[in-house]
Formats: sequence, structure tokens, C-alpha cells
Amino acid sequence: NLTDPTAKVSIQKTYDLTKYLEHQLSTLASTYLNYLGPPFNDPDFSPPRVNGTTQIPSATVDFELWRGLNDRLRLVENYRAYSVLLRYLELMTQDLSCPELRRHFNHFCTSLQGLIVSIASVMTSLGYPPPAHPLRVRGVPGVSGGGAWALAGTASSAPSTFLKKMDDFWLLKELQIWLWRSAKDFNRLKKRSLPQTA
Amino acid sequence: SGVRIQYERIGSDVTMQCGTLGSDASITWKVNGSDVDTSVLEGPNLILRNVTLSYNGLYSCFEDSSGDLQDQISLRIGSPPREPVVTCRSNTYPKGFYCTWYLPFPTYIPNDFELTALQNTKEIECQRDAVHKNKCHLKFYQMFSSLKYKVTVTAKNALGKSSATITFDEFSIVKPDPPEKVTAKPIPDNPRRLEVAWQTPSSWPEPDTFPLKFFLRYRPLILDKWQHVELSDTNSHTITDACTGKEYIIQVAAKDNDIGTWSDWSVPIHATPWMEELKPPTNENQPPLITTTTSSSSVPPQSPSYQVSATTRNSATTIP
Repeated sequence: NLTDPTAKVSIQKTYDLTKYLEHQLSTLASTYLNYLGPPFNDPDFSPPRVNGTTQIPSATVDFELWRGLNDRLRLVENYRAYSVLLRYLELMTQDLSCPELRRHFNHFCTSLQGLIVSIASVMTSLGYPPPAHPLRVRGVPGVSGGGAWALAGTASSAPSTFLKKMDDFWLLKELQIWLWRSAKDFNRLKKRSLPQTA
Repeated sequence: SGVRIQYERIGSDVTMQCGTLGSDASITWKVNGSDVDTSVLEGPNLILRNVTLSYNGLYSCFEDSSGDLQDQISLRIGSPPREPVVTCRSNTYPKGFYCTWYLPFPTYIPNDFELTALQNTKEIECQRDAVHKNKCHLKFYQMFSSLKYKVTVTAKNALGKSSATITFDEFSIVKPDPPEKVTAKPIPDNPRRLEVAWQTPSSWPEPDTFPLKFFLRYRPLILDKWQHVELSDTNSHTITDACTGKEYIIQVAAKDNDIGTWSDWSVPIHATPWMEELKPPTNENQPPLITTTTSSSSVPPQSPSYQVSATTRNSATTIP
């Protein structure tokens, strides 16, 4: 149950890690977008979503729906989203030509992996079955064919550099927003894990 | 027939025509009831050069032969609107947000405003505010959206129109209202403590789901330097390093735990820590109190202990 001490500690750790990643990503993302240069580093830049990005899990949700999620579903949605986002981020990182950026993003991917593990441990501490890994590396739907992060050997045509940059832009943006949403999710779990004051 | 309104730009040359009378008609013009200087007449037309606001008025023209009133023109001098300044803000996240706008320069004539809001390609309705005419309210239909909002305000008047567009992310406009009902109380027998309490702004709709964190700042009235302390998961704080006997000014600000910007500071309140009561001498043989007057400048400033920021669970930081 939520008020179990190990669950509470696990939830707090996951929340803190989410906040840490959110801070890290905002710095790393702006560094990368500045590296990409205009228009990607223009604050008003809002390109259309092209094919490669439609498979990225979006954090967008109807408020009542989101508020009504039970704890397990809330955690499962987080777990699934980050599992997919991490995969895309790893593929994006592999494509980076700048070694310094690649090193930072690799470090971030490791931390993001830590978040996924942390979410799984919260679920375990709450007695929920560990989430099935949503995607096998090869089976990432929509990534093949035209997708910016096409898996080796499945891409029919390599996307243009500009299209690839747009996909990277949307990946980082969705990841940022997921981290904001997760902070709210884990904060909600934190609140529910506090003993109800009389 | 009634009075017709004629709008003209400041600094322009204006021709006032007397109804549909021909150029050979003999006319008399009055402005606000007074005769007009004949040097500005050109046949039946009245020519006004490089007009200013002082030319505003009711212009009437009469046909000399019959003395009949032919036309009445209310002349309004003004300017076309310049680009409006638009601001959007969410102090009721995640329910919705509002936008306000104003014209940076006066136009001196009536203006109309139109607001259109888009998220991606979807238009969002903006509900006009019942009280403020330059304000309207919009709903967040979805949360945690990566699509930007685009709000355009178009200002229009008889002399022209202008518009301004802003784009923003959902999170960047989240700014709560200041905390409410801030109180500060001395704590008996504790000359260096003050107990401060406040309430979450009533406009913030989901404090449990979207908790706020707070920033408390306080300083003795006689000093300029604030002390700050950031606080989460609480609506009260005990100041433990107050200067004995000094009146304090205290304010609190609020921010969503994860997104957006800090609120404005709450209305300042004042409080003085508890002080030992100076008891009057109880019996005659008590030597009279020797009172000496010392000018404040000679009194050494309080030991700088109050300079040390409060060490609490939360780090004290200074807002740049």
C-alpha cells in the first residue's frame, strides 16, 4: 500500500530523480538546439509534426482523465512512455556527430534508464506486477521507414538532415513535457502516500 | 438629420463639406456655436490644416440665404492603433488561462479589439471578461501539451488597424496569484521569533494535484536587505533569527512546484517579535531610572546576527 515506508521512499526517490532529469534535460536540450542553430533554437519555433515523430508517446492528456488514473495505471503510463522515449533518445544519440554532446546525452540516457528502473521499483513496492517491456528494440512501431531514428537495415530512405533535426526537436520537447507530467504524477503519489491527517 | 461623426488623423489637413451643397452655395460655419474664421473657407468647404486634438468639436453649417442648418459634423481627431501589447497568463492552472491587452499609445478615438487563439490548428474560444473589456478567458482542453498556443489580438478603429501575435507553451504562462491571508505573530518568551502563516491563493484550483511552493522574504523595517527562505509542502514558517524589538515587514510569493514562474509578492504585513515588558519600579527605595538621550547614530547597529539567513530545511536563496 501507498503508506508503506519502502513505497514512500521509493516514490520520493523517483520524484527527486524526475526533477533532476528535468533540470538536466532543459540545459542539455537548449545546448543541443543551439548547436543545431536557427530556427531550432528560436523560442517561437513550432514545426509541424512529421512522420517520424508521430510514434513518440505524447504526454498530452485530458485533465479529468489524467486526474482519474489509478496509481497502477499512472505508473504504467510513465514506465511505457520512458521505455519508448529512451529508445528513441539512444538512437538519436548514436547519430550525434559532436562527441561532447554525444557524451552528455549518453550520460542522460543512463540516468533516464535509472528512472525507468525506479518506476518499476515503485510498482513492485506497491505490489503491482512489473510492467511488461512495451517494446522490443526491433519492433519499435513507426520507427522504420521514414522515421528519423530508423533502425539499421529497416529505413527505406534516409531522412533529410532538416527532417532529422525536426524529429530530434520534437523528441526532446515531448521528453521535457513527460518529465513535467511525471513530476505531477509522482507528487500525486507522494501526497497519497502521506498518512491522512485526521 | 442627425450629427455625423468625422474621424481624422492628428496632423492631417481636413476638408469639412457642408452636406451635398454645391460649390457656389453661400455658407456660414460655426464650431461649438461660435463663428468660424473666414480665412479657412474655400467656397462652401471648411479647410483645417495640421489638425490637433483641440480641433475636436461640433461643426455646423447654415445656408446664408435661408439661414437653415444644412449639416452637423462631430469632428474627432485621433490616430490609428499601434501594435497592441498582449499578455497571457494562467493563474488557474490547469483549468485555463486569460489574456489581456492594451495599446501602448493612446488613439483618442474608440477602438475595438478582436482576439483569436489557436493551438496548432485548433481555434480556442476566448470568453470576454465581464468586468475588464481588454481581457478574456480560455480553457486548457488538454494538459501536458507539446503544441504551442498562438494568440493574436487585432486593434481596429476608424483610422486603421494593427495586430500583435504571441506564441507560448502551456507551462511558460503558469503564474499563480500571490498567497492570501498572510499573518505574522510574535511568540511569547521568544524575542527572536515570528510565526508566519498564509493561505494558498483561492484562485488556484487544484492545490493537491498541483502543489505550490512558497518564497518568504522578511526584513527589519529599518533595513533594505531582505532575507529569503524557500518552502515546500507547508503554509507556515517560524522566523528564528529576528532582531529583538525590531518591526519587520514580511511578504510571501508562490509558484507551481514544477512549472511556470513566481507570483507577485503578497501584500506586505508588519510584525514585531515578542519583547520583555519593562516593569515599573515597585517600591520607593528603588533608585530612579536615569534616562539619557542618545542619538540613534551613536547607537551601534544591532549585532549583525540578523544578517545570517535562516538555516532551515530549505535553502535560503536570493532572487536575482
